[in-house]
Amino acid sequence: MSTEIKILKQVLSKYSKPMTLTYPSGVAPDRRYSQIPEGLRGIPERDKDKCIGCRACYFVCSGRATSIYDKGEKRTVEIFLFRCTFCAHCQEACPEEAIKMTNKFEIAVPNREDPAARVLTELDLLKCKNCGTPYVTRKLVDRTYERLMEKIDPIVKETVSNDYKKLDGYCPDCRRAYGVDLDTHTKKYVWLEGV
Amino acid sequence: MGIMDKARIYSPWLYHLHCGGCNGCDIETLAALAPRFDVERFGVQLVPSPRHADILLTTGCVPKQFIPMVKRIYEQVPAPKVVVAVGSCACGGSLFYDDAPENYAILGHPDLLIPVDVYVPGCAPKPEAIINGVVQGILKLAEKRSKK
Amino acid sequence: MVDLIFTVISLIVIVPLALFLGVIYSYLLRKLSARFQWRVGPMLRMYGDLKPLLGTTRLLQPLYDILKLYGKETIVPDVSRRRLFVYSPFLSLFFAVAAIFFIPFPGMPLLSGVPYSLIIASYLLIASILFTILGPVASGSPWAAIGARREVELFLVSELGFVLSLFAVAIARQSLVIWEISSGGQSLYLALLTVTAGALMFVAMLGKLHIKPFDMPEAEAEIVAGPYTEYSGKLLGTYYLTKVFLLYGLVALFISLFLPPIATDVLWLPLYIVAAVVLVFLLTSVQVLNPRYRIRNAINWYLKVAIPLGVLNFIIALAIWLVV
Ligand code: SF4
Ligand code: SF4
Ligand code: SF4
Repeated sequence: MSTEIKILKQVLSKYSKPMTLTYPSGVAPDRRYSQIPEGLRGIPERDKDKCIGCRACYFVCSGRATSIYDKGEKRTVEIFLFRCTFCAHCQEACPEEAIKMTNKFEIAVPNREDPAARVLTELDLLKCKNCGTPYVTRKLVDRTYERLMEKIDPIVKETVSNDYKKLDGYCPDCRRAYGVDLDTHTKKYVWLEGV
Repeated sequence: MGIMDKARIYSPWLYHLHCGGCNGCDIETLAALAPRFDVERFGVQLVPSPRHADILLTTGCVPKQFIPMVKRIYEQVPAPKVVVAVGSCACGGSLFYDDAPENYAILGHPDLLIPVDVYVPGCAPKPEAIINGVVQGILKLAEKRSKK
Repeated sequence: MVDLIFTVISLIVIVPLALFLGVIYSYLLRKLSARFQWRVGPMLRMYGDLKPLLGTTRLLQPLYDILKLYGKETIVPDVSRRRLFVYSPFLSLFFAVAAIFFIPFPGMPLLSGVPYSLIIASYLLIASILFTILGPVASGSPWAAIGARREVELFLVSELGFVLSLFAVAIARQSLVIWEISSGGQSLYLALLTVTAGALMFVAMLGKLHIKPFDMPEAEAEIVAGPYTEYSGKLLGTYYLTKVFLLYGLVALFISLFLPPIATDVLWLPLYIVAAVVLVFLLTSVQVLNPRYRIRNAINWYLKVAIPLGVLNFIIALAIWLVV
């Protein structure tokens, strides 16, 4: 019995203040609202201007929520939130820091096709100069070139840079087919092995 | 709005159906029922039998062994009923399941068996997100009634 | 003739009044236990921004629950004994409402003046509980069967305490008419009896209403929903309605037997309400402070504590009868 009285005392001492937080969130000063903790990982959002369509996020996605597909002249990078685990792997992997985890979490939706269930980014594709097939985004080509130039051995820098410019705008098939005409055959790098 | 419709909105009873998953969502669901996020404020109660329920709250990715139980429990809930799928597992299978290659043990998501009305993605969703999903479920419940 | 008309009118008035008070008591039970657990519970004043959708107050939450259940589909299992399964809730409700007619309310003696009204009221209360056992047994569900079995065991011992406390009072006051008991005066000896027999009755109420240490018939974690597992829709709603009436009836019976003359004159009404709220508060504090007993512990506890207390009551009552 004494334990029960002790519990009763303890309960009554906090009696006037329930622990419950006010729902939904608001700003009235006399109430306690549910707080969003620092670093909460909510739904990921993609910056359309930064994304280059490189697929890095697709390869690391833990829930296989990200998919990338080309349709016509558009490349769509999509996160299907119904499969997303909010793990932020894509944020870490993205070379352009295009993905940011926001702290939005109230995303209950009534059906699978709801636009709120997907994070979509559409990117324009570059057409091949020769055959007209859309094959890659302009930004991906440029960024790859920049990064290549940062890291490459100075001895071959100029050659590679020239080759890159010659190849620019041709789809992989056309490059293979017209490699000799464009004078970019990889044979000429053979002498580098001795260096 | 008649008093019956009001009563329906005011007192939704939850039945918590756990099928597969890692239990993360179940813990968050219980957190939503516990003092800090107390849903009894809005008349929501956790009921022990599906026959008393209005809202079926499913979590997890439905192992194949569980298929008959899920169907049966869905059928045991009396008529105006709403299914709320909580967590990425219950919404789309998430980590545990992929379309190809087919998994020998896991069906994917309850959506393949029973009609789900509200999806709450998240792994695990915050209790507020679950409350939000339940509130949307309540609205659907009211709609279902008025259609009849 | 005037008396007869007044009685008929009061019989009609008491049903909605009992429903209303029962709903308020159940609301208090829920709200107080929520506040004991540092929660908010069903809100008295809804948050401003949710008012259009969720209503201004939830004071009538138990009533909304019942109304909602009445608006739902009712499923009758194939394996059940259909007739018993379907009629039990209604019979249970009928007996609970009938019991209320024999318990006085301030300003309304109702039928409590008829001879042997104490015995009639207690029989009706018992019959009401009996049908909450019979219906589940007919449902054919193992969970309901286990729940019903536990309820029978609990019922046997808690009923003993209930009856012992009733008759201790009846002997001390030398009357089997509730109205006579509740309009009698108070004395020091009778006050002593009120404490002991009242405590016993309180404990019996816990068992009848399935309040925490004695809620093993409905133990959610073990046996689904106990006796009510197979019930749904209107039938379940009827059982909930019965519970509301039963709560009102037991509280009213307690007040009219142990706190005379509160339940007689209409002037006592404020005190009646206060007494009822205090009683509900006590019930709630017992509910939140105790874990669930196992059925064996409950029976042992009854045999060791409640029954000796009942016998003690009897001795006190006899002494009062012989000496005073
Ligand atoms: S979001 Fe980042 S990783 Fe994903 S495709 Fe765009 S740039 Fe590449
Ligand atoms: S947060 Fe994780 S699961 Fe979601 S899209 Fe990014 S990598 Fe995939
Ligand atoms: S959605 Fe995430 S937290 Fe929820 S059950 Fe699945 S894996 Fe666990």
